Amino acid sequence: MTWTDVLDEKALAEGMLQVVYPLGVNVVLARVDGAVHAVAGACVHLGCPLFNGTLVGHTLTCPCHDWRFDLRTGRFLDAPELGLQVYGTRAEQGRLFVSLDSTGGTP
Amino acid sequence: MKKPIHIYGLSTCPWCRKTKALFTKSGAPFDYVDYDLADEPTQAKIMAELDAAGANGFPFVKVGADIVIGYQPERFAQLLA
Amino acid sequence: MSAPPASSRKEVLRAFYAKVVEPLGFTFTPDTELVEFLLEQEVVLEGKHGVPFCPCQPLRGDREKDMKIVCPCIPFHRAHFDEMKRCWCGLFVHPGVTDPDSLPQLPPPVTTP
Repeated sequence: MTWTDVLDEKALAEGMLQVVYPLGVNVVLARVDGAVHAVAGACVHLGCPLFNGTLVGHTLTCPCHDWRFDLRTGRFLDAPELGLQVYGTRAEQGRLFVSLDSTGGTP
Repeated sequence: MKKPIHIYGLSTCPWCRKTKALFTKSGAPFDYVDYDLADEPTQAKIMAELDAAGANGFPFVKVGADIVIGYQPERFAQLLA
Repeated sequence: MSAPPASSRKEVLRAFYAKVVEPLGFTFTPDTELVEFLLEQEVVLEGKHGVPFCPCQPLRGDREKDMKIVCPCIPFHRAHFDEMKRCWCGLFVHPGVTDPDSLPQLPPPVTTP
């Protein structure tokens, strides 16, 4: 796995959405119950920026047309065939890293 | 006596245009309202009728007491006969 | 700066929709004239409301309900559309449908899921 340093770990507060661009790729980070999740930052519906969305529990809702996704799996809640790419995350020495390699958690 | 015919549609809906054309061709008098172009009280009235009939799409056609939801040319022909 | 031509937005919608509906078991109707007309209407609706709503379903002014008729609205009406082998406006049909005019618009089931 190739890891890209994206953010100061302290900059990602609980329940907050943060856009990062590892190697130029649009990724949304979120911390829920302490765990950091990373998913593709553009909605699969019409490409809207998900970092402007809302987060309730693990449910990320797109700001444009309210498509809802599970942050953990990327899955679109109203049709399991659709979803967001999920990326690996890890924390090391106060920094957050994202891996753009496939995690297998993608629908 | 002829049954009154009312048709509700949307200005953006091709099936509504086809419905209107079909009834026009039949020669039967009818009135036609585009929901999206109607004033608020008319929209509320149309929506109440759709809800009562369990419809969520246009065209919505009433021939006397009969209601047809969607573009159904065979049903229209039966009702116009 | 002048606004981009509506046709370019139409192509963006077409490209996104193709990717969304295919995993759901739908494809664009073979009635190409209908496809062009409906996509053009959606560009008009998006220009008016900011959202490419279905050209054949009513806006109610209730966000939760209205967001269920944003194209492609298949995920929110799946059983009904699968039964008809088409979506309500007919932009999308099941793959293999060659005569879309033979697919009637049927009223939604009495009990919505």
